[in-house]
Formats: sequence, structure tokens, C-alpha cells
Amino acid sequence: MHDGVMTSNLDTKNSSRGDKARAKKYLVEFLPAMLAYVVVLLLVVVFGDLTSNKPSRIIWALLPIVPLVAVVWAVVRHLHRIDQFQSQLMYQSLSIGFVGAVAAAVTIGFLEIAKVNVPLAGWMIFAAGMLSWVLGNAILLQRKS
Amino acid sequence: MKNRLRELRVASGWTQANLADELDVSRQTINALETGRYDPSLPLAFALARLFEQPIEAIFEDDQPAVEHAKRRSETTVH
Repeated sequence: MHDGVMTSNLDTKNSSRGDKARAKKYLVEFLPAMLAYVVVLLLVVVFGDLTSNKPSRIIWALLPIVPLVAVVWAVVRHLHRIDQFQSQLMYQSLSIGFVGAVAAAVTIGFLEIAKVNVPLAGWMIFAAGMLSWVLGNAILLQRKS
Repeated sequence: MKNRLRELRVASGWTQANLADELDVSRQTINALETGRYDPSLPLAFALARLFEQPIEAIFEDDQPAVEHAKRRSETTVH
């Protein structure tokens, strides 16, 4: 009985110190970048006047790329920090996300050839990719860990 | 791949988190190893062997029976 209690204490699912440190570093780098992205998006929507004919609209439309680079940088650094098993899961789920985005792009492409107007096609492809990535990640986590 | 990781870890009085810190991997990886859902890379297998002071083959069990392996080798050998 005593041994059983001890064993169950050793089977706790608490995060390791390394896991916590890695998660903290990722949040410290990712959250400000994501926050900056959201702020820039809001600025673009409120002040960008993207539907006008002003040349500045192109600068406004491209402005979100700046914080997006910081988001990508944070994700890439995180990929370098995680271990082999986690990166294997991450690359597999990213592959699923890529397939989801490509499938959406091809579908929308065919719909446009058939003269069906797909509103916000770029955003639809983005959403399909992200959704496939998140779902793929959840399924892989469930199966492998 | 079957292994004795959980048994060795418990014998050392470590939680999965402790072992993860010893090996500089995630707790999730230790769990996947113990449940046989993930086979370690050679460097990780060697790190485990060093940590528990056991040869790799004493920690990990080859799932493939020797007879089957020999049969497959003879089938693939070019004469």
C-alpha cells in the first residue's frame, strides 16, 4: 500500500522545470509580438482606408507584415527550444495545416474558375490552414502523448 | 518499443518531470517513451543508458523476434 502511494506520487503529470522555462520564454517572445500584430491590424482597419485610391493604402495593407515577422521569429525560436518528440509532433501538425490550406486554396481556385465569387478568399485559406493545424495538433497529442 | 523506463524511474524515486529535467527533454516526451508511443533517438537512448547506468538493451526491448529478423535478412540478401 505504502509502495503504491509512493509510486502514484511519482506518476504525477506536473510539468518539469525545463517545460515551464521553455513555455515562459515562448510566451515572453510570442505574446508581445501577437499583441503588436493585433494592434497593427486594428490600426489598419480604423485608419488604413484600404478601399481608397491613395497610394498609402498599399503601405497600410503591408504594415501587418512587420509584427508578423516577430511572431514567426518567436515560433521559430520555440521550435529550436523544444525536444525531438515535440518537434516531430509540431512538424506533423504543421504538415496537416499545410495540406488543409492547400486544399482550401485549390477548392477556392476551382470555384473562381467556375465564376463563383468567394469573399475574403485569402482569409478563408488562412482559416482553413490554421484550423487544420490546430485540429491536427490536438489529434496527434491525443494519440501520441 | 517496450522498455523498462517507468520501472527504472520509479526505482530512482523520480517523477516524469524530474527525469525530463535530468535529460533536458519535456515531461510529455518521457510519458510518450514510457507508454511506448515514441521510440527515442540514439542520442536520447544513450543518455538514458548513461543516466541509469545500464546498457541500452537492458532498458529497451527489441519488438522484432530474432528468428523473424534473420528470415527477413535472408529474403533480402542478393545471391
